[in-house]
Amino acid sequence: MTGTAKRLGDRLLGGAMIAMLGLVLAFLVTPLLVTCLLAFDARSFLGPLPPPALSMRWFEKLVSLDYVTTGLATSLKIAVLTTSVDVFIGTAAAVALDRSNFPGRSLVMAVFLSPLIVPAVVIGFALLLFLSRIGIVDGFTRLLCGHIVITLPYVVRTVLASLSGRDRRLTEAALVLGATEHQAFWNITLPLIRSGMVTGAVFAFAVSLDDVAVSMFLTDPSTYTLPVALVSNMRASFDLTIAAAAVLLMAVSAVLIIVLERFVGFDRLLGQGLFRS
Amino acid sequence: MSNAVEFHRVSRRFGAVTAVDDVSFSIAAGETVALLGPSGCGKTSILRVIAGFERPDHGTVSIGGRDVTALKPYERNVGLLFQHYALFPHMTVAENIAYGLRHRGADRREIPDRVEAMLALVRLQGFGSRRPHQLSGGQQQRVALARALATRPGLILLDEPLSALDAKLRQDLRAELKQVLAAVNSTAMVVTHDQEEAMSLGERVFLMQAGRIVQVGAPSDVYGRPGSRFAADFMGRTNWIEAQVTRRETGLARALSRSGLSLTVPDCPSDAIDICVRPENIILSAADDADQHGMANSAKGRILNVALLGSTRQILVEMAGGEQILVMQANRVGDGLGPGQAVTIGFPVDACITMPAGNPTGLAA
Amino acid sequence: MTAIPVQPPPIAIPAPPRTTLFLLAPGLLLLFAIFALPLFGLVLESLKQYVPGRVGSAVDAPLTLENYRELATPSFAGVLYETFKLSAAASLAGLLAAFPLAYCIVRRFSPRQRAVCIGLLVMLVLLSMLVRTYALELAFGSVGVARPLFLALGISPTSRWYTETLVAAGLLHAVVPMCTLTLLGTIQNIDPRFCDAAQSLGAPAWKAHLGITVPLALPGLVSAFLIAMTFSISAFVIPMVLGKGRVLFLSNTIYTRFSDVANYPSGAAVSIVMLVISLLVLSLVSLVQRRRGSRS
Repeated sequence: MTGTAKRLGDRLLGGAMIAMLGLVLAFLVTPLLVTCLLAFDARSFLGPLPPPALSMRWFEKLVSLDYVTTGLATSLKIAVLTTSVDVFIGTAAAVALDRSNFPGRSLVMAVFLSPLIVPAVVIGFALLLFLSRIGIVDGFTRLLCGHIVITLPYVVRTVLASLSGRDRRLTEAALVLGATEHQAFWNITLPLIRSGMVTGAVFAFAVSLDDVAVSMFLTDPSTYTLPVALVSNMRASFDLTIAAAAVLLMAVSAVLIIVLERFVGFDRLLGQGLFRS
Repeated sequence: MSNAVEFHRVSRRFGAVTAVDDVSFSIAAGETVALLGPSGCGKTSILRVIAGFERPDHGTVSIGGRDVTALKPYERNVGLLFQHYALFPHMTVAENIAYGLRHRGADRREIPDRVEAMLALVRLQGFGSRRPHQLSGGQQQRVALARALATRPGLILLDEPLSALDAKLRQDLRAELKQVLAAVNSTAMVVTHDQEEAMSLGERVFLMQAGRIVQVGAPSDVYGRPGSRFAADFMGRTNWIEAQVTRRETGLARALSRSGLSLTVPDCPSDAIDICVRPENIILSAADDADQHGMANSAKGRILNVALLGSTRQILVEMAGGEQILVMQANRVGDGLGPGQAVTIGFPVDACITMPAGNPTGLAA
Repeated sequence: MTAIPVQPPPIAIPAPPRTTLFLLAPGLLLLFAIFALPLFGLVLESLKQYVPGRVGSAVDAPLTLENYRELATPSFAGVLYETFKLSAAASLAGLLAAFPLAYCIVRRFSPRQRAVCIGLLVMLVLLSMLVRTYALELAFGSVGVARPLFLALGISPTSRWYTETLVAAGLLHAVVPMCTLTLLGTIQNIDPRFCDAAQSLGAPAWKAHLGITVPLALPGLVSAFLIAMTFSISAFVIPMVLGKGRVLFLSNTIYTRFSDVANYPSGAAVSIVMLVISLLVLSLVSLVQRRRGSRS
């Protein structure tokens, strides 16, 4: 193989790589940009881009819809409650799993992470059957149960990762310096795993706020989450109110990202076991 | 005959950092050169420019008389022994060695023989089917060497070839490396931060500092006649005595140190001078040894401490005027030198290197 | 002088078992009550006889394997095939897109570009599935803004093939950020000098990547593929919204049996099948990980 042929191959690979990158990024971002643009479209039908005039009409319509406001309120309540329960229970479990080596520890850990393995639809259906059988018919309780199950593993996982990533000698140093185990935990360990707790909480919140697969089974006629309401209406009619809702939800994602970047930082985020191969 | 490697005013910047600053040098065919410098001095950048991984911002590089500045790594036949070897972990030793042969268009039928010959050269016959992680550090180093040499490169670059090995093994492999390099008779450049390695492997030493080559010479020259405080310090341990010239004679100068030592040293154009004396060139004897072997320079002092290093020992002596002088000598058993003992030190004129004071790099001189 | 016995430093501070239990109990009890018991109930339900017209099975209904036997039909096989085909296609395409992206982020980009890219990818992971599917529908859907483009290219946005592609595109949109973030670590762990070494030995960059980078990244690539697969085969919203009822995934079948025909035992049987499939794919993941762990 001659030098020029090798060079040509390199050029081709380099070019293909750049083209691929452009294509991938365009595929990932364009639909979101289109949605943002159309949410401000003043037309009453889905026309070609760009919109001739911009307006807030879809947002105005959005906030005037009962199912949106009710759904959003329920969603936020559920997400906040779920996240709080997760952070307490999940952190406690992770701390226990990290510091003792009792028999069956890996089994218990597997139990805590197992809801990630079971498809959400299966969890939703199973919970529906079970809760009906034991007579819990209240939508809010049902939704709360479902959301806690599917989000708890995120907190356990991220807190465990930050616990195992910390320098244990710091705790030992505190003990040598005269702190009790409790003091060492509150003064040393807890601040060190705070980033794991924040990451877990953010993911739990995002998953809860976004869930459809589990919630579809657990709603009752007066208690439903925003995504469930939106999905039902997306199938019924196709108007740009949902684009406005999508923009709102993107804004929520953006806020969550800012929280992550502020309190955790993206570099550390990658070390927290959420994206491990 | 053209030079094997020729650098002409080469510069390479990374952002605000100038890694290679207007460097020119040439290496003769068949010569082994050691590029020596502290970490971050730009020596690795020079290596990467020669190998073709970095393109210089200015200047030209030629190898074997051909301008290669714009060529890709695979368009130059330069062998490269990587620091930590970079052996392909998913290939056997033989596949590693054959890799270059396959990609440099060697005749397929000849590859197995050539691989065997390379394994024999580095004394690893029978290791061809092993994987790199099954080998010891020293064996990995030899495989990497065989891989780099397999394509018979006109020029071989060795990046910290021995730094990943422990101290004992390093000495053995240094000798072996020298033999192999002599056997293949190719031009070689060893990049290292270890002055012992540089002096033992290189026929010439290029000393680098802050992106520039500050001194070039045979190892004995660079060690014995450093051109700057930096060169003297980097090549080995040194005593520095700051002094003022009081009188000049033919080729010699009388100087008075700050603490009142009167010394005879080689002459120097400046009046304020720094005198460099290597610790192994200082003779130490008992305090009452009056004539000090006829040394040009001698002074009395007291031992502060003795550090035993095995075959040698370092003795720190505090002179009457307060200066501390380090003496290195062979470790003789039972002569009872210890802290507090009064001693006399002495050194000849040619053990002193004088340079103008306050010139740490020697660049402006 | 007496020798002081040297104790090995404690690796972890041993906690009294009672504290451990106290910390674990809330989570374990909760998961037992609202996760383990329901799954057990699901298994039971899948073995109950279905009485048409009745919502849920009777407590004392006889046990039967009928619900599973009933799944051995071409239509259910079709759903399975559709789920796997589209999931595999999206996962493979996701890998193809994610690998160069991850490579560039790790090896080519400046720290600033890297931070922006990683931020974008994390945002895309956190992005609501609903927003994702709706945005794809608006952009590429049958009435989306790209409709004139497709018509000009002679592609009918109402064909089944097109709907399938759209569902796969939806999965791809979710899978690419996931795979990329997973592969960042893999590529980070490959010494860039391997590629330099290959080039100094005469291989052009593309051959060096093909012969060195890709084989070394293979375990990571396999893991990323399987992670994408597990996500895709249990996807719910994406096939539901983008498939418009014409492309059905396993998860959608479960929901249909619940909401449309109220055949709970059959839905439970499909759920169990789906659960088993997910577990199989995941055990492949851990197999790959263990093999990699034993090699390094």
